[in-house]
Formats: sequence, C-alpha cells, structure tokens
Amino acid sequence: MSEVPIGSGPVHLSLHMGPKLTRPVPGEVAQALLSAQITSTAGERSGFQLAFDLTKKGRIVDRLLPEGFFDPKTRVILALAIKGTPSVILDGLIVRNEVGASNQPGQSTLTVTGEDLTLLLDLEERTDRYPNLAPSQRVERILGKYADYGIDSRIIREQVHQPPREELRVDYQSSTDLQYVNDLARANGYTFYLDPGPRPGRSTAYWGPEQRLGQRQHALTVNSDAHSTVDQLTFAYDGTAREQPEARVQDPATRRVTLLPDPDIGPLRPPLARRESPALKRKPLSGTAKMDPERARAQALARAATSADAISGSGSLDVNRHGYVLRPRELVGVRGAGVTYDGDYYVKSVTHNLRVGSYQQNFTLSREGLVARSDTVRP
Amino acid sequence: MIEPYETALDDIPGAHPYPRTSRYHDVEIGVHRTADGTEVRYAKRRLLPKLPEHADEHVVNAGERPDHLGQRYFGDPGQWWRIADANPVLDPAELTAEPGRAIDVPSPGGFDV
Repeated sequence: MSEVPIGSGPVHLSLHMGPKLTRPVPGEVAQALLSAQITSTAGERSGFQLAFDLTKKGRIVDRLLPEGFFDPKTRVILALAIKGTPSVILDGLIVRNEVGASNQPGQSTLTVTGEDLTLLLDLEERTDRYPNLAPSQRVERILGKYADYGIDSRIIREQVHQPPREELRVDYQSSTDLQYVNDLARANGYTFYLDPGPRPGRSTAYWGPEQRLGQRQHALTVNSDAHSTVDQLTFAYDGTAREQPEARVQDPATRRVTLLPDPDIGPLRPPLARRESPALKRKPLSGTAKMDPERARAQALARAATSADAISGSGSLDVNRHGYVLRPRELVGVRGAGVTYDGDYYVKSVTHNLRVGSYQQNFTLSREGLVARSDTVRP
Repeated sequence: MIEPYETALDDIPGAHPYPRTSRYHDVEIGVHRTADGTEVRYAKRRLLPKLPEHADEHVVNAGERPDHLGQRYFGDPGQWWRIADANPVLDPAELTAEPGRAIDVPSPGGFDV
C-alpha cells in the first residue's frame, strides 16, 4: 500500500458533516482523520467512532471546536469508494466528543462518538394512540415524521394478519418512537434498522423480516492457501439457543384454554442449512391468554423464528485482499470451513476498521443448522 | 408498503442482474410482453448523472486508452465509463483519440455534493 501515492489507492474515503444538510469537510479535517470504526448490526442501531489528530494551534483546536463543528447532534456522513464503486457506510449523529491532550508531540487526539440516524427516533418520549391501525400501518405513520432527514421507509406487512378492532382494544404508545417500532418488530419476528445510501444524505428505514433470499455476496474463503480471503473464522453451535415457544389462548366466552399449534417459521426464515438444529427447550409464553388468537400466533412465530439461529460464526477480513466490502444484513457463502460449516450464512453484523493504509472488517454470521444446502457457493 | 414475499425477489438487494460496479446497476428494469405472451426483461434507458463541478484534469498522452485512465484514477480498468460520463462523449475511444486533449476526471467517490 505504501508505494501507492495518495489519491490513487483503491480505497477512497469522503467525509461530510453539517447540522442537517451536510457538506464535505475542510481539507484540514480530512487530513487529520486518523481512524474510523463503524459498526452496523441487524436489529440494533449502528454506532461509529472517529479519531482526529489534534495539533496545537491547528484549525480544529482554534476555530472548529469552539465554533461547534463537532458538537452533539451534528450529522456525519462517511462514503467510501472501492475501486471507483461508491457506497455510503455511515449516516449518523455525533453524541459525544472527547479531547485527549498529551505531553507527547502528535499524541493529542479528538475522538468523536455517535450513533446512526435512528437516534432521532429515540430523543422524545411521547404518548399516542393508534385506533384501527395494523402494526405495519403504525410503523408507516411513525416513520413518515422523519422524512426531512432523507429517511425513506420500506415496510413489509406483518406475516400473521392482525385485524385491528377498535371496539375491543386500542393500541397505545408510551415510549420513544424507536422503542415502540422495535417492540412492534419484535412482536412480529421482524427487524428494524436504517440502511444508509445509496447516495449521501439518503437512507432507508427497513421494517421487515431478515432478508434471507436473493443473490449471495462474494464468498468468504478460509484455509485455502493463496485463495483465502478471510484471516480467521470461528464457528460455534449453541444447542440451548433455540427454544420452542408454547402459546395458550383463552376464549373469553367459554373460558376454554387452547394450545396453539407449533408455528412454521419457513416463510419468515427460509432455511439455509440442510440439518436443522433441534429445539431443546420448551418455553410457555406468558400473557398470551389475554391476547387475540392472531396476536398470540404472531408472538409465538416471532419467538420461534428469532431464537432459531443456533450456529454463529465470527471472523475478520482485509478488504484489500478480499476485493469487496462485506455488507451486513445480506447473505454470504463460506467455503473452506469443512462440510459441517460451509454454505450460506446471514451476515448479522459488520464492524469497519479504517485507518490510513488499512481497511479491516470484523463480522458475525448466523444460520439455523449444519451442512450446506447446495454443493456450490457464489465465488 | 410491501405485502410479505409478494414481489420478494424484485426488491431484495443483490437480486438485480447488474453488479454494483456496473453502470447499469441503478437502471430500472422493464418487462416487454411479446405477442405470444412471453416476458422479456430489459434495462431501460440510462440517464447520465450530473456533470461534476469540481473535476481533476488529465492531459491525454499518445497511446492511452480509456481503460488505462480507469486503472490510473480508480484502480480498476473497468471503471473507464465514469470518465466517459463526465465528458459526455458518444464513443469512448473519442476520449483519448487526440493526444494533448484535456479531459475531466471525476472524484473517485463518484459523489459531487
């Protein structure tokens, strides 16, 4: 990497900052950037940490910091170009900044920490009632309020149809928008996350099942001499992770309690492995007797689906050697790990570690069983 | 709002037939129905992005080709089309046909904000 002159390496980074509308940062700030760490996970909010070099009498310390350039709630957008192909990997807000002043020359740093734009949904606690609105319609109404930050929404209707009946119950929100949207997602076996891009300043809020269909990303290869793209990969099989929920509902007229049949999680999670791991635990769900049968069924399906991932993998890769950026919340193939653990996985989370001259990614994978379904993965 | 798995394959990222490095990645896919009822998918017309406001200049040397410029500025010879987009030319060979011509090279990020 060192013999490539600045400006013509394969990885280019551009940083935009500003209060609501962002602009490219001044040259001094871009040059002072020492490292960036960005974590994005399915179902949780993403976080970032940027470290800047803080020279005495520099423009950052003299002008930009006192003028509030790095103040909390400043928006930060980080876009990357790998071999000319652009992608946005971060669209977030600063939450805190730390200045570490040191006696050693060149060791003073400014560290900026923040979260992605879902922080906006988590700032204000509000109470609201949603008469005659199904869960996905409620999410649509909540996300519509945040369009001025460039957030589009992609909402998939819930798997178990729950017709709202105003005369029986009215759903009520008494928390922040983010908590309420997350609760609704959890009750339906869905995830909620914010996907930055495709252009800086735009992002998509996704409320739906984990996307376990479609084309796989370029395969991760281990233990294959010169063809290996991954430094190391660890797999774990947790037998107690999967549990079979039992939901009972009571008919208010006859007071008779019925046990709901075991839900089929196939439509929510298309299987990725040939040998499904068995559910060792059985767990009765509490509070389902009071619910409508549809809501209880959705709850049981959600619990069965979200606990199904017994196999987890983690590892790290060098983007320059792999040639592609691994994107979270999509499928990827693994080869070279043996018959049991080869095959397709869902990329649960990715942490980007960027510093001058190196780009590393740590990732975690998950799926529900052992042994690949097909003989090949996309190379 | 999308019904569950109604048009699942059309909406999933990566199900698009063109990879991210391709200039047709963002192009809308149309469906043409022939007289006997078979459906043919095709890429609709691609509109050129806005011309970059701040672009570096490159002076063409003798014997250079567009793919050389792609390798030199983006690290990938397949990305020459970004340079052709920034200097609207119909034939990419026209870009480097005449040594000494100054052409615009867009920023590697591809975003001009």
